Amino acid sequence: MARVKYLILLVLGALALATVAAGAASETGVTSTQVTIGGTTPLSGPASAYQSVAKGAAAYFRYVNAKGGVNKRKINYIYKDDAYDPSKTVDATRELVSQDKVFAIFNSLGTDQNLATRAYLNALKVPQLFVASGATTFGNDYKKYPYTIGYQPNYRAEGTIYGRYVVKHAPKSRIGVLYQNDDYGKDLLAGLQRGLGAKAGLVKSKQSYNVDDPDVQSQIAKLKAAKVNTLMVFATPKFAIQAYVYARKLSWKPLVYMNAVSSAANIMGLSTAATNKKQTEGTISIVFLKDPTDPAWRNNSGMKLYRSIMKKYKGGNPNDVYAVYGMSVAHTFVAALQKAGKNPTRAGIMKAADSLNVTNDPFLLPGISVKTSATDHFPLDQARLQRYHDGHWVAFGGLFRVR
Amino acid sequence: MRSRAPGIAVWLLVAAVVLLAYLFAPRFISDFHSRELAGAGVFFIAIVGLNLLTGYTGQISLGHGALMAVGGYTTAALAVHEHWRDVWTIPLAGVAAGIVGFLIGLPALRLSGLYLALATFAFAIAIPSLLKKFSGLTGGSQGLRLLEDAPLQVTGLSGTVTIFGHTMTQNHFLYYLTWGIGLVGFLIAWLLVRGRVGRTFRAVRDSEVAAASVGINLAWTKTLAFALSGVYAGVAGSLLAIQVEIVNPLSFTFLLSILILVGVVVGGLGSLGGMILGALFVQYLPDLSTHVSTAEGAPDFIFGAAIIVVMLLLPTGVGGFLRRLARPLTTRLYLRP
Repeated sequence: MARVKYLILLVLGALALATVAAGAASETGVTSTQVTIGGTTPLSGPASAYQSVAKGAAAYFRYVNAKGGVNKRKINYIYKDDAYDPSKTVDATRELVSQDKVFAIFNSLGTDQNLATRAYLNALKVPQLFVASGATTFGNDYKKYPYTIGYQPNYRAEGTIYGRYVVKHAPKSRIGVLYQNDDYGKDLLAGLQRGLGAKAGLVKSKQSYNVDDPDVQSQIAKLKAAKVNTLMVFATPKFAIQAYVYARKLSWKPLVYMNAVSSAANIMGLSTAATNKKQTEGTISIVFLKDPTDPAWRNNSGMKLYRSIMKKYKGGNPNDVYAVYGMSVAHTFVAALQKAGKNPTRAGIMKAADSLNVTNDPFLLPGISVKTSATDHFPLDQARLQRYHDGHWVAFGGLFRVR
Repeated sequence: MRSRAPGIAVWLLVAAVVLLAYLFAPRFISDFHSRELAGAGVFFIAIVGLNLLTGYTGQISLGHGALMAVGGYTTAALAVHEHWRDVWTIPLAGVAAGIVGFLIGLPALRLSGLYLALATFAFAIAIPSLLKKFSGLTGGSQGLRLLEDAPLQVTGLSGTVTIFGHTMTQNHFLYYLTWGIGLVGFLIAWLLVRGRVGRTFRAVRDSEVAAASVGINLAWTKTLAFALSGVYAGVAGSLLAIQVEIVNPLSFTFLLSILILVGVVVGGLGSLGGMILGALFVQYLPDLSTHVSTAEGAPDFIFGAAIIVVMLLLPTGVGGFLRRLARPLTTRLYLRP
C-alpha cells in the first residue's frame, strides 16, 4: 500500500506541475461543443466478435448527438483496436490519454485488458468507466481504485444465482462444471459454490480448459464419465458450442446451465444447428438485456428504438445482443454525463457514476435499474432466469438481485 | 584495398545518418509517437535475431514469440519477486532466452525445414499454457503488473527519467533505450555475419553436406545460431515488458511468432538493412489496417493482403530491393580506380 501511495504522490506531483504550467481552466477532453471519450476493443484477432459492443455504443452516441448531445456537447467516442492483447491495450489506452486527450476511458473490453491499465489510469485520475468485464474486482476494489467502475452483473453473482436455483429446485442434482482457467471462469465457479452453500458437495467434477486450447473434447468426456446430470458451462462462445457438440457425440444430454457470456441467441442458434433441438432444449441462463431475436419484444418501444438506431446510425448486425449491451452502457454514460452537470470534470463524473439511479434504460429488461451508491459499485446487479425452449429463450421467475 | 575505400565511406555515411536520425528523431515527433517507435524497436531487435537464424543459417523458427515471453517474464518476475530495477534485468532476460533458444535448437540437429518449423511451432503453442501453470512465478492467467506489484522498480515512474543530468520524458527514454540496444545489437549481428561465424552460418544454410565436408561442426553451428537468436528475442521481450509494464499470456500467443517471421520476410531474409522497415511494417500496419475498415474481420484481411502484395512486388523483401537499388552505385564505386 505504501508503495502505491508513493506512486500516486509522484505522478500527482508531476501532473500538478504540468497543469500549473499549462494554466488549464477546463477539463481535459471537454470543450464547449464536445466531450471526447475513448476505449479499446478487439477489432482484429480471434476475439473480434466482441466489437459489436463498441459499435452499438457508437451508434447510440451518434443518435444522441443528432438530438443535440448532452448539455449542447456532442460525444466523440474513439474506439481503438487492441486485438484482445493486454499489452496492446496499454499502448492504445496511453495513446487515448496522451495523444487524443480523452476525458475518460469508457467501455474498454476484457478482464485482463482493463486490469492492465487500471493502475495507470487511477494514478493519473482518468476515469475508467463501465468496464466491459464481469470480473468482481472492478466493483469490489473501489477503495484502492476509485477511478474504476464496472457495468454488467458480475460473474460471481451470476454463479450464485445458478447455485441458489439448484438448491431450491433440483437439490438432488449431480453437477459437473466446465470452466475457463482464468479469473472469469474461477469467479463463476466461486459464485456457484457460494450459491450452493451447504450443498457444495453436489459438484462432482470440475474440468478446466485454457482459452488457447483447441477444444474441450476430453473435458466433456471426463464430465460424462463422472456421471453428472447437470452441466454448468462457464466458457466463452467457441467452447460453449463445443460443449454441446461433444456431449451429443457421446449421446449425453445433461441439463445445461449456460453462462451469460455465451448465451446470446445467435450463439445458441449455432449450438442448435451444430447438434439438434433436443441437445439445447431446457438450457438455463440469466438475462438482463432485451434479446433482439426474442419475438416477445417485437412491439416493445425500447427495441423499436434500438432497431431504428442500428439502422440509421450504422451499428451493424441488429440481431447481435452485444450491440444491445453497447447501447445500454452508452445510455448509462449519457445519464452519468448529464448528472455531472454543465461543466463536467473527471472527479465529477466519477461522483456521478457512483450515485446513479437510472430506471428508464430501454435496452434492459423491465424492472432492472442501473443503480450505484458510495458503497455499491456494481451498476447492474439484477437479472432474471431464462430457459431455452424450441429455439428461443423464455424468461421465467422474478428478478434476482445479487452482489 | 584501395578500391574498397569508397565503399567504406558510403557505409560510414549511412552509419552517421542512422546515428543522427536516432539521436534527433524524438525532437520532431510527439511524445506518444516516440513510444510507438520504441514498440517498433522491440520488433526490430527480435527480427534481427530471427534473421541471424532464418536468413543466415536457414533454420525456420515459429517459436520466437515464446522466446520473447521467456525474456519478458524474466524481467517481470525479477522486478516483482526479487525487486530488481526493471532495466537491470535486460541482460539476464537475454541470457535466459538464449539458454531456452539453445534447448529448442537441439531438435534442429535432427529435423530440418518444415519439420523444424513445426517443432518450434509446438513450443510457441505450449508457452501460454506453461505460463499459466506456474502461477506462483508468472501470475498465472492474470500475468504480472509492474505498476501494481513493483512500482518502485519501474524506471520513469514519475513521468521523466534523468540520465547524466539530462532529463527526458519516460517515452523518450524508452525510445532511446530500445533503439540504443537495437542498434548495438544490429552492429554485433553485422560484425558476426561479416566474419567467420557468418560464413559458417551461410555455409550451413546453403548446403549442410558441403559445410560438414569442409569441417564445419553442424550441431555446434545450429545450436549457436538458435542461442544467439534467442538472446535477441529475450532482450526484445524484456524491453516489451518494460514498455507496457505488464506481462500476460495473451501477449505471447503464436501470432507474435508469426508477426516476427513476417517482419523478417518483409525486411528481406539474409539482409540486415531491411530489418528496420520490416519492424516498422509489423508495428504500424495492423493498426493502419483498422483505419481502412473496421468491419468484422476486415483488419486481419487487409493486413494479410498487404503481406501478399509486398511479397509479390518485392520477392526478396525490402532489403533485397534496397540492395538492387544500390548495386549500380556501389559497383561503380568499387570499379573506379
